[in-house]
Amino acid sequence: MMKLISILFKKEVLDASRDKRSVMAGLYYCIGAPILMCVLFTVMFKQMASPEALKITIKNAHNAPNLVQFLASKEIEHGEGEEVKAITLEISDDYQVNMTQGKSATVFIIADKSEQKLRASINRLERNLMLYNSEVASLRLVARGIDPTIARAIDVQTHDQATPTSKGGFVLGIATLSIIISLFYAAMGMAIDSSAGERERNSLQLLLSHPISTTHIVLAKVGAIAGFSIIALILTTVVSKFAYNMVPWEMMGFTVIIDFTFIVTAILIGLPIALMSASLLIFISFLAKSFKEAQSYVAMALFIPVMMSMATTYDIATDIMQWMPIAAQQNAMIEIIKGNAIPVTQLLLSSAVTLGLFAIFTYLSSRMLKSEKVVFGL
Amino acid sequence: MKKPFNIKKNLVKLAAVPLLISAALPLRAATSAVELAPCYAKHLSDRVQCGTLSQPLSDEKQDQKIDIHFVVIPAIKPLYPQEAILAFAGGPGQSATSIAANFERILKYARENRDIILVDQRGTGKSNLLQCGLDDLASQFAVDDTLLGLDFYKEDTIECKEKLATDLSDYTTPAAAKDFDAVRKALGYSKLHLYGGSYGTRIALEYMRQFPDSVASAVLDGLAPSNQSLLAIGGAIEDSLNALFKQCQSDQKCAQAYPNLAQRWQSLLTQVEQTPLKVSVLHPRTSQPLDMTMTKSKLYGAIRMALYAHPSRVLIPLAISEASKGNVLPLVGMMAPNEDGMDLALGMHQAIVCGEDWARLSGADKEKYSKNYIGKTMVEGLDITCPIWDVKPVPDSYYDPVESDIPTLLLSGGLDPATPAKWAEVAMEKLTNATHLVAPTATHIVASQSCANKLIAKFYDEKAVGDFDTSCLQEDTRKQFFMNINGPASIADKE
Repeated sequence: MMKLISILFKKEVLDASRDKRSVMAGLYYCIGAPILMCVLFTVMFKQMASPEALKITIKNAHNAPNLVQFLASKEIEHGEGEEVKAITLEISDDYQVNMTQGKSATVFIIADKSEQKLRASINRLERNLMLYNSEVASLRLVARGIDPTIARAIDVQTHDQATPTSKGGFVLGIATLSIIISLFYAAMGMAIDSSAGERERNSLQLLLSHPISTTHIVLAKVGAIAGFSIIALILTTVVSKFAYNMVPWEMMGFTVIIDFTFIVTAILIGLPIALMSASLLIFISFLAKSFKEAQSYVAMALFIPVMMSMATTYDIATDIMQWMPIAAQQNAMIEIIKGNAIPVTQLLLSSAVTLGLFAIFTYLSSRMLKSEKVVFGL
Repeated sequence: MKKPFNIKKNLVKLAAVPLLISAALPLRAATSAVELAPCYAKHLSDRVQCGTLSQPLSDEKQDQKIDIHFVVIPAIKPLYPQEAILAFAGGPGQSATSIAANFERILKYARENRDIILVDQRGTGKSNLLQCGLDDLASQFAVDDTLLGLDFYKEDTIECKEKLATDLSDYTTPAAAKDFDAVRKALGYSKLHLYGGSYGTRIALEYMRQFPDSVASAVLDGLAPSNQSLLAIGGAIEDSLNALFKQCQSDQKCAQAYPNLAQRWQSLLTQVEQTPLKVSVLHPRTSQPLDMTMTKSKLYGAIRMALYAHPSRVLIPLAISEASKGNVLPLVGMMAPNEDGMDLALGMHQAIVCGEDWARLSGADKEKYSKNYIGKTMVEGLDITCPIWDVKPVPDSYYDPVESDIPTLLLSGGLDPATPAKWAEVAMEKLTNATHLVAPTATHIVASQSCANKLIAKFYDEKAVGDFDTSCLQEDTRKQFFMNINGPASIADKE
């Protein structure tokens, strides 16, 4: 029986490799998606981070030379021209009088806080003004013979449990999302072609006229498609490994490392998903009456696994999602990159469910192939 | 029993050399042979790794062990997993791991790609801390140190020695250097980039001498080499203070608010030397009434500590001016944070100063260093305490200038009251691949107050100053003096 399946498998692989366009479409995704993501991240980080030397507009600077100097030491300076951010710091006219008399001297920050690109810079300006506040306040206390520590009633010390690799939470979600999606989308064209396509080319009837069981045919098709999905997964992770090195993660204070161990575990975790994905794609394609219809159905059906993965990425309903197939596997991948312990129970359970789905879809497809309605697309 | 305390005693105990790293103010590929546990350092929220390594006390005392405590701050993006930065603390006597947050700030850019190793040098922090108690603020304020005799210092030292019951000869710089390389080896790094600040430069240079193959590059910030006596610090203090007076004089508003500051300082010193100023003040934190006897050594000590960083320097003209009017409150405020002797390990401090600096003093040296007040106080104090500690002098070869072609960057602050730029010239005599950069307006520890933190990261990457732009070190980092009790502003500004 194994021999039979392996012959059928070879036939499927040969068939698929002849359809260069489907193969190329899959490969494009695997190479293109990680690179595109890295480019987007790099651009996004550069926009979100406040530039090292922040140029703003400072009005009435002559009223507060010491404050201006303090900000300059934090690389926030008055500037002219294009690089100046749309942030104005205006120093009030009575700044000196109030400062001398120990009253609060007013400064105004004029900026649009809804502007995403400015947010980090505005925060930085506010933070540094607070620092100036406490520096002057401390010195005022010292000048009065008081230890400035008393103004710090509590000493807050944060013990951050994160590591440089785990801090990239959201980014890791997106990175693993791209890996999971590769298992569904890379082989999509191939799956439709080997089922609905084969039917339209009238070679399916020919195949069924041989003395072989429909289960064998379906298994061979699923195997070939899943194999291609795994290749896609390997390609995606390997490309990611190199592309991610180019992103200036350290600007945001974390890093993402895709190493060899991760690639291997991702393959193991991805295997059941690949089988399930392939059987699902084939089942839906046979369900459709034509090639075109199959394309629409598949696109609609793939929305479900993508949503599962999205939920993990955006941390939606984590308590429930962590037990769901696909979501749990993606979660395990994230934990591995973070260097944390793998949630074994969740992973095993969801993998079992995933394999169960694979069995169900395979069974349904093989039953369908016994119906003439399906075989002839009536 | 608590003994009365005074700054002078403190000066003796600490040998008045707090070459501190300024606290004024923020997936390992190398395979480790030592057990590491996740932990946290003070004021550093990032999770770090802690470990301990058992080291022989000396080559002769192989069976006596000392536990060396260390911390590894992981790199953000470890591009060079086989390399790490080893940072040395100052003092002598400062615990490197307890100021991890300061090092993290100074080495922020360098840490992006490399781990940072911090080791508590033997005798400090959690590596067999050699510490003796200091008196509380109330006693520090009250005592009239001019009335205390030599016996007082002797007794105090003997008491500390009995408490520690340790031969300090095992705690000198050359003895400690081996611990650092043992930690490197245990952690599995092949090459280190060194950062030493203040006294830390002395141990860094010794490490370069003993383990040249372990060092990829070195940044030495505020040089205190073995061939430069720490007792010359008195001159540096005076230079730094005079520069401050000059700065005030050349600033129209400051000159107007505080005329003849230098003369007022001198007459204030003479005044308190003749009759210490006795006033009653409130405790800087608890507001309990306290007696304050402002003697020359307390006055000098307070002003001297304020010279270390720009934020505290701005108060000096006000403090001197007020004190000469009889108001010592600004001085009281300045003294409060130094209550605990800046957390220096006194025993270890004495091991270094007695074993390395005092041991080598000739009569002529003593005379030379005694030309200024701090130097004189130190020489007098060490002459009493060092014979009691009885630290074995380090070998003569220790005073040879370190010979090396390791890429080295030396940094000095033009206003440094502890390690002046000329000490760097002494250090680099035989460093063939060294560059010395001076930030003219920086005080002690250039990396904490200028763009030097960026230069350090670049230097570790390129191992040469080459063509990178160092002009940012020229930027004026001084702050405006307090013109009155509320700040640098004065109504005269409003035209």
